[in-house]
Formats: sequence, C-alpha cells, structure tokens
Amino acid sequence: MPEIIVKFDDRVIERIVTEKKRITIGRTNDNDVVLENRGVSRKHAMIEFNNNAAVIIDNESLNGTFVNNRKITEEVLRDEDVITIGKYSLVYHTESKAPAEGMASMDGTMVLNTRQQKSLIENDRLERQIVAKFGGSVLIGEENVDFSEFKLDRDVTTIGKAKFVHVKAKGMFLAGIQAKIVKETDGYCLTNLGKEGRTKVNGEAIDSCILKNGDLIEVGRSIFKFVEGE
Amino acid sequence: MRLALISDIHANLEALEAVLRDIETADVEKIHCLGDVIGYGCDPVACLRLVQDHCEIKLMGNHEYAALGLLPPSQMNNLARESMEWTVQAITDQEIAIMAEFEMDATTAGVYLVHASPCQPDSWPYILSETEARQAFPCFSQKITFFGHTHLPMVFSLTSGDFLRGRVGHDLDVDDDVQTRYLINIGSVGQPRDVDPRACYVVFDGEEGSVTYRRVEYDIKATQAKMVRAQLPQQLIERLEVGR
Repeated sequence: MPEIIVKFDDRVIERIVTEKKRITIGRTNDNDVVLENRGVSRKHAMIEFNNNAAVIIDNESLNGTFVNNRKITEEVLRDEDVITIGKYSLVYHTESKAPAEGMASMDGTMVLNTRQQKSLIENDRLERQIVAKFGGSVLIGEENVDFSEFKLDRDVTTIGKAKFVHVKAKGMFLAGIQAKIVKETDGYCLTNLGKEGRTKVNGEAIDSCILKNGDLIEVGRSIFKFVEGE
Repeated sequence: MRLALISDIHANLEALEAVLRDIETADVEKIHCLGDVIGYGCDPVACLRLVQDHCEIKLMGNHEYAALGLLPPSQMNNLARESMEWTVQAITDQEIAIMAEFEMDATTAGVYLVHASPCQPDSWPYILSETEARQAFPCFSQKITFFGHTHLPMVFSLTSGDFLRGRVGHDLDVDDDVQTRYLINIGSVGQPRDVDPRACYVVFDGEEGSVTYRRVEYDIKATQAKMVRAQLPQQLIERLEVGR
C-alpha cells in the first residue's frame, strides 16, 4: 500500500497509509488530509491511486502545489517525491515502509496523531494570530528581550547594544549595531555586522542568511523568534 | 580637558595623517572623531584603522551608516552613492565590525558631540542656516554641541534674549553667561568645502573655555593621484584642490 508522510517544518506529524482510490487534501475538516495553515486552500489538491500509480492533482489552489519544488497542475508521483503545500511537505512512498505501532484505523486511512503535532499546530496558530494583529512579519521576544513582539516594518532593523538601535540586545562584547535585518523582495535577510560569532540562527553562527519562519535568532544573550507575515 | 575634534575625513589618508601630526603639537589629552571617516576618498581601510587607534569617541556618520547597509542608496546624492559602491568593495568584515561599534552621539567634558544634528542623529539633516540652527538648539541641553556633516566650519551662538547668530567658523572664547549656548561645526579633515583646501579640525579647551580652528596643509596632489588610479569620480578629485 502506498504511504504518505506529512511533515510540518520538517517534523513528521502524520503518516497516512490508505486503501482509498482518492484522498483529498485541504484546510477544511472534510478533507482526508487536513493541513491547518493559511497557505493551504480549503480544497487544495487530491491524490488519485490506480494500478499502483498515484497522481497528484492541484485543485486550482491559490498558492499552488509543488512536487520536488516544481509547481504542478497534475503529476504522476514516483517513490520519494516530495509534495509541498503551504508550510507542509508530503513525502510519497509507493509502499508503506514501516507501519508504526499505535496507528489507529480510520475509514481506511491510518492516522498517527501526536500531542507534539497538536502543540506545533497550536503554536503556529498563535503565531498566525500575532502576525495578523501586526499585519506583517514580527520578532517575538524569547529571552533577555524587553518586548514581547516587534513588528519588522522598516527596510532595515538594527539589533545591538547601542541606545539608538531598533532592537536592543544584551550581552558582553556586543557591538553597538551587532546585526541588521533587511527587508528584501524575497524575504528578510539577517546579517552580522559586529565581530563574528555573536549572531546565531538556530544555534549556528551566521554572517548572513535569509530568515525562515520560526527561526530562533540569538544576538548575544538575547533570543528572538522570527515569525513570517503575509 | 583639552580635546582635538576631527570629522569628515572621507578616506583621505594624507589629510588625516597631516592632522594627526599637527595634533601631536597641540597638547591635547584626547581625540574624538565625529564621523564620516569613509566615503568619497580612496583609503577607507587605513583611515578607519588610524581613527580606531587614535580616537577615543568614534561617532557614526551617514557614510558609515550607508556602508553598514543601514541607509537606503536613494537617500544619498549621486557622488556619494557612486563612491559608496567603490568603498563597500574596498572594505572587509573587519572594517564593518569597527564601524558597527561607532556611537550615534556622545556627551563628554560637558559638551555634546554628534555628526549631523542633535535633533535626529540617525536621519542626517543639514544645519546650514540660522533657521536650522534655531530648531536644533532645543534638542540638546549642554552649553556646546560640536558637529560636522556639512564640511563648513560654522559657529552658531544663541545668547540671552534669544538672539541667534551664525558666523563662519572662527576661534572663540566661550561666553561665561549661562544663557549663551553654541552649535559649532568643526569643518572637514578630508574634503573641506569652505574654499580653503587645507584640512580642518578643532581644539577645544574645557578649562580655558576656548575653541580653536586649526588648518593643516597636506599633499593634495598625492591624494588626487591615488583617487585617479582608483577611478573615483572626477568631481570628487577636483574639489579637493579648490576646497568646495
């Protein structure tokens, strides 16, 4: 039986093994695979199975369906193909690899739900609410930060210990302007300006990088979470 | 406290070296730099290193701000933008890290220091007229502000009775009257624009209450020859010998 692994932010949240001839994918609850994310249309796409072949069909969704990063309208799936819909990725396997224990049978669709998945999606929902409230991308203060949310509405946002920067960071040996976040056409770019090694993203020191939703930015002892807006 | 105050070096190494030699004879305790170490000229790296080594307070100028990528190119004039494109190619992460430490303003020895204006230090307005100076006086509380940015040595004084006067930069003894306040432009080391091509800086003596402008000759031809080799805009090269 074919299998589909559903991932959110690269974390597996669901494994689907089905005998159905067709599964529907979308944001609303009447779909076989429900993807709760604003980048997903209500009836986003479907996968049809016949004679050991699987075909994914995009249902004229707003943000598109991608197979191996290529936008498609209809595409025959091969083993290990990665379907991207919104922030989700779905990995297609022609045969189920290892039926996990504890999977519940549900109308022919095997679903694995975890508490982590729920909290992941709940977090996402909260972050979406914040982004909607601020009307754009925001930094969420996590540690040693004097704000809870900071809207990234400037072309350039400076981070450091000088009194004139937009976002204050704490820590010894930080430069006045240790880092900057520049709004570019394809997203937000974080660049270290002060001495190297004092700006990190998800624990890794960076010179410059395009921020992804959920990235944890560390400048000195201060930690911010980047949440991408519309 | 006797201070040497320098500003607007603009990557002119010969002018900066000449000024630093002159400062050695001026019996000062500290040197402070009011920004724009780079831009226009062809020695940004050497000038930044010298300023880093010799100056205690180092303020951000709009050219440093631009080199750090914090000032949109649309907010610069064509010559500044063209030379900034050259400058960012010439500097490394080390120079970026030096500039990232520069402060936007400072208060020291009872005086306020800023590159462009005490009102909005990071939006770089020009204070050229008495009207602009009048708007700037309420933005600082000290008796004296020293600033740069316009490359024009100027002394604006506000005396009792709200009497404001702007004059071309001149030596002065600070008036003891508590109501008298000053906005003093210290001129430019590396690109003077007051029709005197000599490098310009100021010595401030806090005890004596004196402000002295010093003009220093330097090898303009040598600077120009290097700028020609660096293929910097002709207008930037020519203006050095006429000082405007």
